[in-house]
Amino acid sequence: MGTLYEDMVDYGGEVFGREHLETLRECVQCGKCTGGCPSGRNTALRTRKLMQMALLDMREEIFNAPELWFCSTCFTCYERCPKGVKTTDIIRTLRNLAAKEGHMSVPHRMIGVYVMKTGHAVPIGPAQMELREAVGLESQPPTAQHPQNKEQLEQVQKLFRATNYDAMIDFDWDTMNLRGMDKGGKK
Amino acid sequence: MGDLEEEYDYTKIPPTGSAEGIAAGAPEDSPRIGVYVCHCGINIKMTVDVEDVMRYAASLPNVVVARHYIFMCSDPGQDLIRKDLAAGRINRVVVASCSPRMHEPTFRKTCSDSGLNPFYYEMANIREHCSWPHGDFHKEATEKAKELVRSAVARSALLEPIEEKLVDVKPEALVIGGGVTGMYAALDIANGGYKVHLVESKPSIGGHVAQLSRTFPTLERTASLLTPRMIEVGAHPNIDLMTYSEVEEIGGYIGNFDVKVKRKPRYIDTEKCKDCTPCIEACPVKDIPDEFNEGLSTRSAIYIPFPFAVPPAYTIDAEHCLLLKEGKCGDATLETIKEGKAVPPCMAACPGVIDFEQKEEIEEFTAGTIIVATGYDLVNPEVSAEYKYGVYPNVITSMEFERLLSPGGPTGGKIELNGKEPKDIMFISCVGSRNKQVGNEYCSRVCCMYLAKQAYLAKEQLPDANVTVCFQDVRAFGKGFEEFYGDVKTKGVFYMRGLPGEIYKKPGSDRVVVRGENTLIGEPYEQEADLVVLGMGLAPNKDVESIISMLKLSTSVDGFLMEAHPKLRPVDTATDGIFIAGCCVSPKDITDSIAQGKATASGSLRYLVQGRAVIEPAISQIDEEICIGCGRCAEVCPYGALELDEVRHVMTVNEAICKGCGGCNSVCPSGAATMKHYRDRQVYAQIDALTEVTDVGRLAEPESASAAEVAAEASAGAADTGSETGEVEGAETEAVPSAG
Amino acid sequence: MSEEDGGKEYAYFLGCITPNRYPGIEAATKKIFKGFGIESKEMVGASCCPAPGVFGSFDMHTWLPVAARNLAIAEEMGLEIFVTCNGCYATLQEADHLLKKHPKLKEKTNKILSEIGREYKGTTKVNHSIVIMHDIIGLDKLKERITKPMNDVNVAVHYGCHFLKPREVRGHGSSETPYILEDLVKVTGAKEVDYKDKLMCCGAGGGNRTADSVQSLEWTRQKLVNATIAGCDCMVHPCAFCHLQLDRGQAEMNKAFGTDFNFPILFITQFLGLAMGLSVKELGLDIQTTTIPEKLLK
Repeated sequence: MGTLYEDMVDYGGEVFGREHLETLRECVQCGKCTGGCPSGRNTALRTRKLMQMALLDMREEIFNAPELWFCSTCFTCYERCPKGVKTTDIIRTLRNLAAKEGHMSVPHRMIGVYVMKTGHAVPIGPAQMELREAVGLESQPPTAQHPQNKEQLEQVQKLFRATNYDAMIDFDWDTMNLRGMDKGGKK
Repeated sequence: MGDLEEEYDYTKIPPTGSAEGIAAGAPEDSPRIGVYVCHCGINIKMTVDVEDVMRYAASLPNVVVARHYIFMCSDPGQDLIRKDLAAGRINRVVVASCSPRMHEPTFRKTCSDSGLNPFYYEMANIREHCSWPHGDFHKEATEKAKELVRSAVARSALLEPIEEKLVDVKPEALVIGGGVTGMYAALDIANGGYKVHLVESKPSIGGHVAQLSRTFPTLERTASLLTPRMIEVGAHPNIDLMTYSEVEEIGGYIGNFDVKVKRKPRYIDTEKCKDCTPCIEACPVKDIPDEFNEGLSTRSAIYIPFPFAVPPAYTIDAEHCLLLKEGKCGDATLETIKEGKAVPPCMAACPGVIDFEQKEEIEEFTAGTIIVATGYDLVNPEVSAEYKYGVYPNVITSMEFERLLSPGGPTGGKIELNGKEPKDIMFISCVGSRNKQVGNEYCSRVCCMYLAKQAYLAKEQLPDANVTVCFQDVRAFGKGFEEFYGDVKTKGVFYMRGLPGEIYKKPGSDRVVVRGENTLIGEPYEQEADLVVLGMGLAPNKDVESIISMLKLSTSVDGFLMEAHPKLRPVDTATDGIFIAGCCVSPKDITDSIAQGKATASGSLRYLVQGRAVIEPAISQIDEEICIGCGRCAEVCPYGALELDEVRHVMTVNEAICKGCGGCNSVCPSGAATMKHYRDRQVYAQIDALTEVTDVGRLAEPESASAAEVAAEASAGAADTGSETGEVEGAETEAVPSAG
Repeated sequence: MSEEDGGKEYAYFLGCITPNRYPGIEAATKKIFKGFGIESKEMVGASCCPAPGVFGSFDMHTWLPVAARNLAIAEEMGLEIFVTCNGCYATLQEADHLLKKHPKLKEKTNKILSEIGREYKGTTKVNHSIVIMHDIIGLDKLKERITKPMNDVNVAVHYGCHFLKPREVRGHGSSETPYILEDLVKVTGAKEVDYKDKLMCCGAGGGNRTADSVQSLEWTRQKLVNATIAGCDCMVHPCAFCHLQLDRGQAEMNKAFGTDFNFPILFITQFLGLAMGLSVKELGLDIQTTTIPEKLLK
């Protein structure tokens, strides 16, 4: 583990290219990001401050900050940064690093549970099947959740295993839920 | 990485040394070369074993002495050369050191001062081309340095003496651009006793400075500062002022630039025009956005740009005048005017002064030097769409605000919007500057100070208003600037750090809200404003494309005109006799613009006063015995320097225009056209010397390469490192490398 | 993949919310497209895109191969994709862009995909349905089909975030001065009305809705109030996820705070569908939280 900056460039750089994340160093703290941030008006998120904290290697403070998760990834700051700092992608990468160290809320982890169980973050149920019929569509689309497409769902599940996502959120393949959770979502 | 037999320790190299060359004792009339290898402090010797190179040089043909020294360009270094020349030991000089761009002139002078023709001097670049790029490869770099020296020595033996040519310089200067920079350049030259042609495309001189209300940091009224100089320029006997004119064509060369200027017709007899107003009142076209007032007011088709314009003449704007654009104004047409029947209202209001028969005129003259001072445009405020310029009337540019502040402006100097005094004013820095995403990464330098000035004046005029400057930094770099900035804050202007994110209209109101973060306390804010002033950056003047191509000027990455060297030659261009100054080079304030204008005057006067200029002698030469007058050379010459002498049916070179590009040399079928100082035989000698296959110091060779493959690889590699001066025209036609 | 107008097939990537919560969007879009000769083909086995702000925030190294798998499904069909959700657009368009830009990344991703017998080739293209309507079908053709013009209707346009941004990846021009939705709305004769923070995010994305749904609903509340103050009759948008937040969110706010929001929220094809004479039932506008007022139906 290097500095937070180095880890961020390494991890995010594999997907975006290193220069994309290295733009963080060009930040001059002008504040235009926070200035237009819809979250900052309603939460404690200060995008500019987050950029500075990342450069200051304030790993624990960032990973433990609830406001790290209040960015809606709207990209407004990204569009406006005069130095071309890739703010939103930097925040996503910081979140990736935080998640890897277990800083991920249960509701967030549950989204992964739904996808691994059904192939969808928002799965369909009987009530929604009726809605589909009401507008003249077949009751269930042929996605990975469809009972006839079990191998497709298995493909998705294999991908989540291949990247260790299951381990990251502590997913139990036997219960098809987070480890230690009962069906009601309680530990 | 090369084998490490023993570590190279450059500290062991003594400060100087010498060796007798193998040609010591050669007859007087043969080439007797002295080779001087420089350490450049440690820049070269840190990587290149200069002692080894010196010893190698001594083993080369025609070399009578080789020396190495720690700083060849220093006086003791040059003395080594002077002593050898004085002793008659050598008649050729090769220095292996830095780039010719650094010290070729230095060492040429060393030679000429000692009586040796400077074109017997040759240079091997073993720094920029060797020790610097190959810093980790000592062994290979040393071998390469030897090759470069070998090449230089081979050429040195074949050099010829050349006399520098001088041309006369016409005692007149051309200044393009009549803003403050061009005005001061013109005045210094004119006061120096030389004639200046000052060409300005607008109807009046004065440029953007004329639009300003006050100047920072002293807050003097710009009009009082500028008008006396404008009048002086207009009245100066040595200044030929051509306003409402554009440069059409420039040919020629230093000392003799042939200039064609298009004088646009004003349609007014400026001698008779009394600057009164009846014609303006009579003109039916009244809704043209007034450029001088940044579109905040309107003007007629007949107008004077501002009251203190120089020349104090009216102009009829052909793009909006009904008679000129549509052929008819009221009942009048050009025919009815000629026939003495119906006349347009302006002529009726003021008979005998307006003349629609005026035509565009071309004036031609020859200038000795040229100064380009074409100034700037404001960056388009729409590049930062989040600030909603053009969407909300509350958002204006800094230049528009300047017009509001000016007593001669659209509101008589009152800060107001739709007749109302603003209670809350916000200024925003860095709009269109320091911004990669809008394509202007540079800082516009003057905005911090002009915003401070504007904020101060706003607070002064409206003491009860809230005046805020949203800033990123405050660059108060000049004399009196930081002190002024303190005064601005003491006056009550609040500086809030943070570039705003966006501006929106307050619903149900005619005010706007600025959203930003106060970065110093880390809190987002929403601040209402009646008036928002955008601190727009400065961009290169878009209308100078034709000047750039006429003069073959270079532009920098940021789009501004490029100076010859950013530190050492701020107002020179790559061409002798052509200068650039002011904001066309980079954004700057009035002080620095004037200083640069005056600098170009000084640069020009050097040529105007001496009345002559040196022409680069390394140019084309036609051997008239061989020339068949086919004219192929003239077809390819980009400068038009070659002409056929009809009588003798041979081509002739205009030595002042020729820039020595070598194009003629490469197309001449008979070999009549050659380049002085870059003869084919000289260049081939360099190539042959570089492509000699030696058995030392190559990087890993291909495993089963034949000798031919190795040779091919060697010549391919060598061609890249070819000659360090001039083109290698002949190399393309060289079919087979020499080794085999 | 050549571009023709009409008589074309696309792979319709459904995502999650459109098929599983608001099938009206799916029905409306399929119907309108069909009317212009565009067949929407089902993507068998497609999964969650996966949601860009969500999975992109948790692990980009998982997000990418799952997205690439969805792209590979369309590649196998030999078709271009269209979507009815900005989130799906963000994921699929960006994943496609990154894999096309970085060969090493493509290699690495295909290594993972090979474990499930799939391969990403880079042969498809990701389109947003509104671009197909605006550029492929074209405004003139759309206008011809308007049988129930919305002349008295004031529309608040909501772009969401991931259609326009980041502009360097999406390529739909300036994110501050857009025009596509405005043009589509005007085709119906309705008036597009500017309102405070028109371009602002709905609050749902990036995992924000899951992280703190009350806080995310504050953004939604602001948007709805602003549109109402500006005199708008409804809000029209191109994103299923925004649809969830804006529509269901009103019920959530009403329940939690005793408010009485019922501001009509329509996906753009639902709005166009009304103007083209389709019924509320066909468009699934009667199975949403918010209801459609008479004004939009006359």
